[in-house]
Amino acid sequence: MSQELLQIHNLKTYFFSDSGKIPAVDGITLSVKRRETVALVGESGCGKSITSLSIMGLLPESGKIVDGEIIFNGENLVKKTDAEMERLRGNEISMIFQEPMTSLNPVLTIGEQIMEGIILHRKVSKQEARERAVQMLKLVGFPRAEEILSEYPHQLSGGMRQRVMIAMAMATNPKLLIADEPTTALDVTIQAQILELMREVKEKFETSILLITHDLGVVAEMADRVIVMYAGKVVEEAGVEELFEKPSHPYTEGLMKSVPSLEESQQRLYSIRGNVPSPDELPKGCRFAPRCDKAWDRCFASEPDLKEIAPGHAVRCFLYQSEEGNEPR
Amino acid sequence: MSQYILEVKNLSKHFPIKGGLMRRTVGYVKAVDNVSFSVKKGETFGLVGESGCGKSTTGRTILRLMEPTSGEVIFDGKNIAALTRKELRKARRDLQMVFQDPYASLNPQMTVGEIIEEPLRVHGIYSPAERKVKVKELMETVGLNQSYIDRYPHEFSGGQRQRIGIARALSLQPKLIVADEPVSALDVSIQSQVVNLMEDLQEQFGLTYIFIAHDLSVVKHISDRVGVMYLGRMVEVGPKQKLYEQPAHPYTEALLSAVPIPNPKARRERIVLKGDVPSPANPPQGCAFHPRCPKAFDRCKAERPELIHLGGEHYVACHLYDEQEKSAVLTM
Repeated sequence: MSQELLQIHNLKTYFFSDSGKIPAVDGITLSVKRRETVALVGESGCGKSITSLSIMGLLPESGKIVDGEIIFNGENLVKKTDAEMERLRGNEISMIFQEPMTSLNPVLTIGEQIMEGIILHRKVSKQEARERAVQMLKLVGFPRAEEILSEYPHQLSGGMRQRVMIAMAMATNPKLLIADEPTTALDVTIQAQILELMREVKEKFETSILLITHDLGVVAEMADRVIVMYAGKVVEEAGVEELFEKPSHPYTEGLMKSVPSLEESQQRLYSIRGNVPSPDELPKGCRFAPRCDKAWDRCFASEPDLKEIAPGHAVRCFLYQSEEGNEPR
Repeated sequence: MSQYILEVKNLSKHFPIKGGLMRRTVGYVKAVDNVSFSVKKGETFGLVGESGCGKSTTGRTILRLMEPTSGEVIFDGKNIAALTRKELRKARRDLQMVFQDPYASLNPQMTVGEIIEEPLRVHGIYSPAERKVKVKELMETVGLNQSYIDRYPHEFSGGQRQRIGIARALSLQPKLIVADEPVSALDVSIQSQVVNLMEDLQEQFGLTYIFIAHDLSVVKHISDRVGVMYLGRMVEVGPKQKLYEQPAHPYTEALLSAVPIPNPKARRERIVLKGDVPSPANPPQGCAFHPRCPKAFDRCKAERPELIHLGGEHYVACHLYDEQEKSAVLTM
């Protein structure tokens, strides 16, 4: 059995509209090992959510995987039919979203929604599904699980809804949990509860987590490895301690310096100048060059490759690549 | 003259809950419940708390975008809460607001120039030609290219829209700006640009800010003093260093400990609060925080704590400190 649960190779997901194609995800390569938590970090429009929807086979109609492969547990998901993906989704791979209100059906009870997935994938009786649902709700911290079964989403608070989502996602014991900004809509004290729950659930079910977030605090707390995306590309990848200690891409560095610290006080915040480029008008060369303090001619002329600068630490930046060859400086 | 530009005294805002066939009032949501604080001229007062704590309602009630139920808002010697419509209109020149959502708070059918000019036009300041010059000046001030004056909001990114909102708020040369979550909808790299801009403008124009946000790190960065709200009540007020380094209220302490620190090696003791924030329609008796408080005792269930002076400018509404005060008196 391979150590890698998920391997994405050169994935390109483009959107097509009347005005042309938009390369939302433009050739990304990443992997998630068994029982590993990998954080996918970046700002809006960097392609992190489209990456997760590509894995799930949930792209909107205008979006299409045009190249690359997504190998999950030895099988290429890109080649799978809709029916095959349906058997996988919510079973082997589950997903939780940012807004638990919009991802729960308001007219079905919590019980109906949790049991639906269990019955579909596990082919069990309604009674067994109900028992499993109660067991899952207790596990995510509802002492009065039986009562919750017959309640509706609007009766629950945001944090409780996210617990329900986690119970639902984990009910089929998936190998991979994709969590897209799972705590962004929650208050900080509730966020702390949900992050703790995710850690417990991960231990108990031996699940791998692909955590999509923009919050570097959440990354530091949850991730084993971090992948930083900018404008549809991976710009840096490293183990979590290495990344926070030696952020090497100027974008990663800038991002870390932009966040005000709770522990130290600084006179003025660092800020990356300019704006995130819109994916339909990407700059030539390195996509970060127009905002980069360290850019020079070469950065505007051609695009750097993602190169390893230390074991497990890769950066897409000419600062670490010599002019002719691709050896690190 | 008082050092305070704004004094909020016992401010309350209650929303009626209608129920039953006759739509009678069956109760009240006490969104803001007897809140008092003061803001000094030229400072930034941060207001933090979780959703539903009443921080935004407090901001809006101060500007009378919502009518207060009771209490006083003394600004520059006048009680805003008691002004007539006409007087209020005049006072609003000095009091402006910046909103959270730069997408929803700008009229999509107006050009940027029209949006920034509108307050000047409404208040009948300058001739149309002078206003145009002023608008260009304002755009320059907030870092927007003047050539964009005829563009529409949808042509701008979130960060640029927030600059438009700030330019609009600045147009009347206000003394006080209430900024309600001005950077929470923005990406990290854009957030720091807007925070820096707000700090520059404060220095340049001698502005006073009330900065409302749920992000404790941003509030710490920009504020001089901070007030923490919970369920419509002010639970702690203090200078930021004091409040962040030695939080007195158990809620402030838990809130601070819950913030994830962007450093994988900094594993800290975390106080994970149990349960959710209760509904403000039916807040717990006594101290509203007591059901979630790890340090609560009998008195907290029965009696609502008032703000107690801890020394300096540090205040807390918690019986823990009340008791200490008493025992200190007893041992003397």
